Amino acid sequence: MSETIPDYITPEVKAVIGAEAPPVTARHAVESSEVRRFHQALIDNAPRFWNPESSRRYGGPVAPMGFPVHVFRRTEEEPDPLAMMDQPDYDGVDRALRPGLPPVLVPLKRLMNGGYEYELFRHARPGERIVLKSRYADIYQRNGRTGPIVFVVIDDSYETGTGEKLLRSTNTIILR
Amino acid sequence: MGDTQGAVFDDIEIGQDIPKVVKGPMTTAHIVRWSAAMENWHRIHYDWKYATEHDGLPDIMVNGSWKQHVMIQLLADWAGDTGWAWKVAFQFRGMNVPGDTLTAWGRVTGKERRGRFGVVDLEIGMLDQKGQEGTPGTARVVLPLRGGPPVPYPFDPAVLDAG
Repeated sequence: MSETIPDYITPEVKAVIGAEAPPVTARHAVESSEVRRFHQALIDNAPRFWNPESSRRYGGPVAPMGFPVHVFRRTEEEPDPLAMMDQPDYDGVDRALRPGLPPVLVPLKRLMNGGYEYELFRHARPGERIVLKSRYADIYQRNGRTGPIVFVVIDDSYETGTGEKLLRSTNTIILR
Repeated sequence: MGDTQGAVFDDIEIGQDIPKVVKGPMTTAHIVRWSAAMENWHRIHYDWKYATEHDGLPDIMVNGSWKQHVMIQLLADWAGDTGWAWKVAFQFRGMNVPGDTLTAWGRVTGKERRGRFGVVDLEIGMLDQKGQEGTPGTARVVLPLRGGPPVPYPFDPAVLDAG
C-alpha cells in the first residue's frame, strides 16, 4: 500500500518566505524585577545582572544576553491564551510565531523549537525598549519516518529604541 | 566585587575543556518557575496528562528556551567581563525531563589571533546524567591577549580587523 505524502509547502506558504515584519517595539521597557525573575529562573546569579559594582563594563546592571528574545509579551488587545485551556487539543502555544509576521498555514499540530544561531553584541538594560525585526528566511518540508515535518526558519534582529544592536538570531521552528 | 577576569587567549589550547555549568536535578518547580517568568503556556511544560497522554511524551519537558540561555551562560562565564561570547549555535535534539541533571560543556576546536584580540572556536553541548547529548552546537568567543586590553563593549566585530 502506498500513501501519498502531502506537500505542505503550498503556494500560500511559499508566498510568505522572505516576508518581513515591520519593526515592533516591546510594549514595556525592560524592568529590573523582570530581569531578576529571568536570571533567578535560569539559576544564573552573575553579578553583572544585579550588582552595580560588578557591572561597570556594561554601564550598570544588565539583562542576560538572551533576554530580549522573551520581551514581546501579550498585549492588552490580544486574547488570553488561557481562555482556550478547556479545549483538550489546545497546546497553549500562540501560532503567530513572531509579532507582525503572517501565519504559516500548515495543518500540523505539534510545534517544537529546533534550535538557534545567535550573534551577540550588547546586553539590554533596564529602562530600554527593545525593537524586533523579523523575517521568514525559509520554510521547507522533510519527510521523516514519523511523517512530514515542516521547518520554519526565522531571522530576528533585536535593537534598542535608539538603534543599538543587541543580538541577531536565526531560529528554526519545527511543525509536525 | 569588580569585573571578572575571564579566559586569556594565550593560555588556550586546542582540545582544552572549558569549565562546565551544571544545573539540577531539574524538578517540575524549576520548569514551572521558568515557564511563568517567560509566560510560556505550552502545556508540555506543566500539564503532565497532556504531555504524556496527548503528546505521547515521557514526562513534562524542560524548556528549550531555558536550555538555550544555559548555553550562553556557559560561554559568558568563561569569557568573564574581559572577553565576549560572540556567536553560539545549537540544535535541540534531546528531550529533558524532571530528575535530569544537565551539564553544559565546551571544548576548544580552534584559535586564531585577530588584531589585538584572539578568537576561539568551540564545540559545545549539554549532557544529561546518563551522558546523552541533547543540545549539540558550536560557539565563537573573543578573548583578550595576555597583557592586552579587554574586548571592547558593546562588541563590534570590526575590532577584530583593526590593527
